[in-house]
Amino acid sequence: MTDPRVTGAVRYAQDVELEGMLEARILRSPFPHARIERVDTSAVPAGIVVLTPGDVADLGMYGAQIKDQTVLACDRARFAGDPVAAVAAATLREADEALALIDVDYEELDSVFDPVEACGQDAPLVHDRHNVSENDAAYFGIRPQQGTNVCHRFRLRQGDVEAGFAEADVVVEETFRTAGAQHAHMEPHASVAQWENGRLEVWTGTQTPFNLRSDLAGVLGIAEDRIRIVCPPMGGAFGAKTFVRLEAIVACLARKAGRPVRAILERNEEWLTLNRHPAEIRVRLGARADGTLLAKEVECWADTGAYADCGPGVAQKMGFAAPGPYRIPHVSVESRCVYTNLPPNGAFRGYGQMQTVWASERAMDILAERLGADPLELRLQNLLQEGDRYATGEELHDVRFAECLETAADAIGWRESRQGKGLCVLMKGMQTPSRAGIAIEASDDGTYTLRCATAEMGQGARRAISLLAAELLEVDVANVRFPDPDTDLVPYDTRTTSSRSTYIMGRALVDAVRDLKENGRRGYGEVEIPGGLDPDTGQGVASHHWHQGAGAAEVRVDEETGKVEVVRLHASVYAGRVVNRPGAELQNEGSMIMGLGTTLFEAVDIADGQVTNANLSDYEIPSFMDVPVALTHDLLERDGADVHGLGETALPPVPPSVGNALASLGLHVTDLPISAEAVLDAVDRRAGLREVPA
Amino acid sequence: MRIAFTVNGEGVEVDARSDEMLLEVLRRDLGLTSVRATCGIGVCGACTALVDGEPISTCLLLAPLAEGRQVTTVEGLGGEDPVQRGFVEAHAFQCGYCTPGMILTAKRLIEESPQPSEEEIRLALAGNLCRCGCYVKIVDAVRRAAA
Repeated sequence: MTDPRVTGAVRYAQDVELEGMLEARILRSPFPHARIERVDTSAVPAGIVVLTPGDVADLGMYGAQIKDQTVLACDRARFAGDPVAAVAAATLREADEALALIDVDYEELDSVFDPVEACGQDAPLVHDRHNVSENDAAYFGIRPQQGTNVCHRFRLRQGDVEAGFAEADVVVEETFRTAGAQHAHMEPHASVAQWENGRLEVWTGTQTPFNLRSDLAGVLGIAEDRIRIVCPPMGGAFGAKTFVRLEAIVACLARKAGRPVRAILERNEEWLTLNRHPAEIRVRLGARADGTLLAKEVECWADTGAYADCGPGVAQKMGFAAPGPYRIPHVSVESRCVYTNLPPNGAFRGYGQMQTVWASERAMDILAERLGADPLELRLQNLLQEGDRYATGEELHDVRFAECLETAADAIGWRESRQGKGLCVLMKGMQTPSRAGIAIEASDDGTYTLRCATAEMGQGARRAISLLAAELLEVDVANVRFPDPDTDLVPYDTRTTSSRSTYIMGRALVDAVRDLKENGRRGYGEVEIPGGLDPDTGQGVASHHWHQGAGAAEVRVDEETGKVEVVRLHASVYAGRVVNRPGAELQNEGSMIMGLGTTLFEAVDIADGQVTNANLSDYEIPSFMDVPVALTHDLLERDGADVHGLGETALPPVPPSVGNALASLGLHVTDLPISAEAVLDAVDRRAGLREVPA
Repeated sequence: MRIAFTVNGEGVEVDARSDEMLLEVLRRDLGLTSVRATCGIGVCGACTALVDGEPISTCLLLAPLAEGRQVTTVEGLGGEDPVQRGFVEAHAFQCGYCTPGMILTAKRLIEESPQPSEEEIRLALAGNLCRCGCYVKIVDAVRRAAA
């Protein structure tokens, strides 16, 4: 049997067509911060449906974690690109023409574009008040700092960090920065909505159908069961297709039009819809002369842009991943999620952990250099071991950091020569707490249908879950059906994020199959994972189990041009148990390749609050020519182990492996992406031609 | 204006504006949804079709320029084309959005160079982007197809 992906038969949300459907376009603010004085639509011809702030001002606010968004910007536009009006017309051409006829008067306001500046006393406030959302995506203690631009502050404290530094023989201190990035999923955001007898139906590319339904219910003031969300497969998502994107606008347009409405974003609009959090991270790391780590202090500023989205969660994960997989008696972390007048930032493969892993693992190599230690040995000496407690106080089991790191080091021949080579080891959290349910229905023809909210975005979760179901049911996988998730038909699930679905749905499946065998026609299974952290101390259970991995890179540098060539790249990831080998390999390879883009060239460029590279010519993503010929990886397994998610673990180790490989050549870089200019500066600094910045 | 051309072996006639791109016509008028918009500026290859056998970014080809030409999309390959089989065997896809464009570009490569080296494959496909990052397995798929 062939695969619908090679025949072009996959139907994504953008391919959904309904009878009488209109096409939507969105009018966006040209200013990063402006009061909306007047929206004049009088020139728009009759027959075109127009949605203005006046239509939505009385509707509810939404936001996955902070309730800070209205369907359209009503009083103020908070970033250049904030939707201020929308139209729906029979054709895209008519919709585009109508947009041009809407006249908006703005009064420009002061803006702030840097997360550290945004924490300053005199910074303009992006939002006057921060109200924590009731959405179950706001599952942890969110700590907004009222009267500031900080919408969440997470703190982790273990021991007495100053006492630790006082004991240290060596203390390194450095500031690291990571750029914003665009997910650049090939299929743009696309949503279709229609109203039937007062009930809203939405077909949309989403990883979070239940969070979406909950927020839409709040916006529209209707019960959740009056809303149906259907999730066709996505042409890539990587975190971008989470929570409310276009759905609220499309639902309001469809209600006003009395007809179905579809919106498909134009490519440039993707950079105005959701990007990855740029971050500034300051690390202080102290050790004894023998290499024993004593104290670590980390401060993070995660720039969430004009709306929080899941930024508080990103900042929290950034914070709780910051200590890294090491025994460190004294730890202090402060991570802030900060509003700026930039496009919103949200979930992105790696979810905050790429940023702190970059800073932390570069800092380890700086420390190794100061100590005159081998970076591999320094890491091995301090790695967390079976049964150790992490800085959050949780006990760790099935600990494989050393194995991951050793296999990565061996893959690049670390012990033969260290010149041009770099290493990294990491731990990455999985959504905790969370809950998943799955139902199995048996048919007379011997097939089984899975009712499950896990969304398919190319990660292969449907295949993996179908394979697990087939194994438990003792049938061929061809007899297992997995229809598109539909909130009318599937049980609740937290969401398809954080590389959790194969693991948690796999566990729920075991119960569902047992129930089916007992009851005959239908079985239901549910798993709930407890846990969570105290946001003021960082104590508790950050992750039910940890994703563990390591990376290794070998580079060649052209010191005339600053060009960095990654000649070898390896990732070692702890899989526990591999369910679908080709799919697992693709997750590692895809994460590593995306990580190369993050490392070497991907950055959302901003000038005066405007994105200046919102197209795939100026914003480049890795092509065939960017992939090292020697790109290899391990999927480490252990008999009897849990399934471990693999969707993201191989991304965060790429940047530090490359950065540390440069450091082995005496070239120190602190910012991502590693531009040719930064490499040339590092060449000059090594030659003593420039001062090393304090 | 009326435009007459051949799509997947069958003659078609469509009504389109003179400033419309072939991509819009293939999707809207002919329902060929394997041809997909991503970048809109001819750098990603997701909208690739073969026009007289050559891979073309249909987001940049004015529809009237297809007049009298032979257009092929993956819908026209059936499903058992050696390149399609190579992609299935090598598991050379994740979300599948870029796959049709990859297959068509690879098909042309193999016609021109029946035993392409890895370097040739990479170069020929450099104009087709895959954000899922299936490049390693796509090289394998093309090799299998050429074998």
